[in-house]
Amino acid sequence: MVAGASFCTESASGWNSRYLTFPFLSAVVVVLGLAAGVSLFHLGRPWRTVFVLKNLKRSWLSREILFELVFMALAASLALLVLEKVYRPMLVRALVTLAFAASLLFIICMAKLYMMRTVPTWRGLYTPLSFFGTALLLGPLGAAFSYDKLLDLGRKAPPFLDAAAIVALAAVVLILLTIFLFTPGLGLFGPKKATLLELPATKMYPYLLFRLLFLSGTVLCSFLYYRNPSAPLLTIAFLCALAAEAAGRLLFYAVYSRLGV
Amino acid sequence: MHQAGGSQSSWVRQYAFYFDSSACSGCKACQAACKDKHDLPVNILWRRVYEIVGGNWTKSGNLWVPGVFSYYISMACHQCAKPICGDGCPTKAIYKRQDGIVLLDTEACIGCRLCEWACPYGALQFDEATRLMTKCHFCFDYIDSGKPPACVAACPMRALDFGELADLRKKYGATNQVFPLPEAAITEPALVIKPHRDAPRATKDTAEVANWEEI
Repeated sequence: MVAGASFCTESASGWNSRYLTFPFLSAVVVVLGLAAGVSLFHLGRPWRTVFVLKNLKRSWLSREILFELVFMALAASLALLVLEKVYRPMLVRALVTLAFAASLLFIICMAKLYMMRTVPTWRGLYTPLSFFGTALLLGPLGAAFSYDKLLDLGRKAPPFLDAAAIVALAAVVLILLTIFLFTPGLGLFGPKKATLLELPATKMYPYLLFRLLFLSGTVLCSFLYYRNPSAPLLTIAFLCALAAEAAGRLLFYAVYSRLGV
Repeated sequence: MHQAGGSQSSWVRQYAFYFDSSACSGCKACQAACKDKHDLPVNILWRRVYEIVGGNWTKSGNLWVPGVFSYYISMACHQCAKPICGDGCPTKAIYKRQDGIVLLDTEACIGCRLCEWACPYGALQFDEATRLMTKCHFCFDYIDSGKPPACVAACPMRALDFGELADLRKKYGATNQVFPLPEAAITEPALVIKPHRDAPRATKDTAEVANWEEI
């Protein structure tokens, strides 16, 4: 997701080969590889994942993995082009656009995977909005953080950082709206709302609290960075966003409730 | 342990269980027979007996009048006509045999647990030792050799039966949903139930499962 949204930021801010560096692109592939590795090793039999593309017709998990692989391959191809110094603008733009499309489909499939008919708490808008909120927050911040670290730009911030800041701010608004409107058992829409007094006793409460706390940290550090750009603030903002979204994932699993027994 | 079908009864289109809730005494012989036959580890029960309790006591003058009720539901995999567990399986490890029995190919299962999230009957269970999913397979080995499933054979109250779904419906009616089972339209379970007389009183607000720690 981090990598997917960073491509989204790139596309939104216009392609500039100055920022298309091998370290950045290889970082994208490494982050994706690590994420895939983590999800692989929570499986009972990770080495059997070669069979996971067998049910593309019906399984959202098969489709999710397909688009993740496609995205990874496209990112790796871009990295290879840059490494070999093959600068063909049309080819690069085509690869970036395809990678962007693959990353979008990857997130859509991931959301659909959880939107099961038998799990009403994940079936609504809460799931896709949560996933896109995470991607749109971590992606731009991750890209800004990577550029800051890998290119050593110091105070000369690249122009796309403005676009990244706007996307990240919009993502914070989206996440807050998702929390207060659609979180099962808490949001305005959806069944069975907990009152403010009941909320601390719920399973989701600690995760909700941490998520809001770290989101506030992200906004505060981003604002301070905007006023006085210095690397530690961007790092803290990124780490806060990472912590907020990790809490967001735990919150997501905490609201799981299945029909039946 | 590869759970695949061998020879099968070609004249049966959909095997199903019948459960008489009005006759069940909650002895759990079915549960024990299943566990014993398949040598299931701790925390895995392919057949489970749910104790449903509900109602209340009401005061009438100086008297407290009992309005409480309780009944049992014995459940395994219902070999659904629309097995939602198999829909999401990325490796097609869950499939239906010609006679309607839903099987799990443990050689193809990757242990992603999606089926466990999806099944509204809790039929798919994860074995921590093998890191694979497990499920009731209707004792297909017994079926193929002309014997009844272990749970059916063990029931002292004759509250369990099995057979072709159409035949069971003809014999016992078409009820396949009582509290706390989910709406049958979701997966179309191959199940026929004779509800307990108090089942109509049981809803999400008036009754609950009382033995979660056992199942």
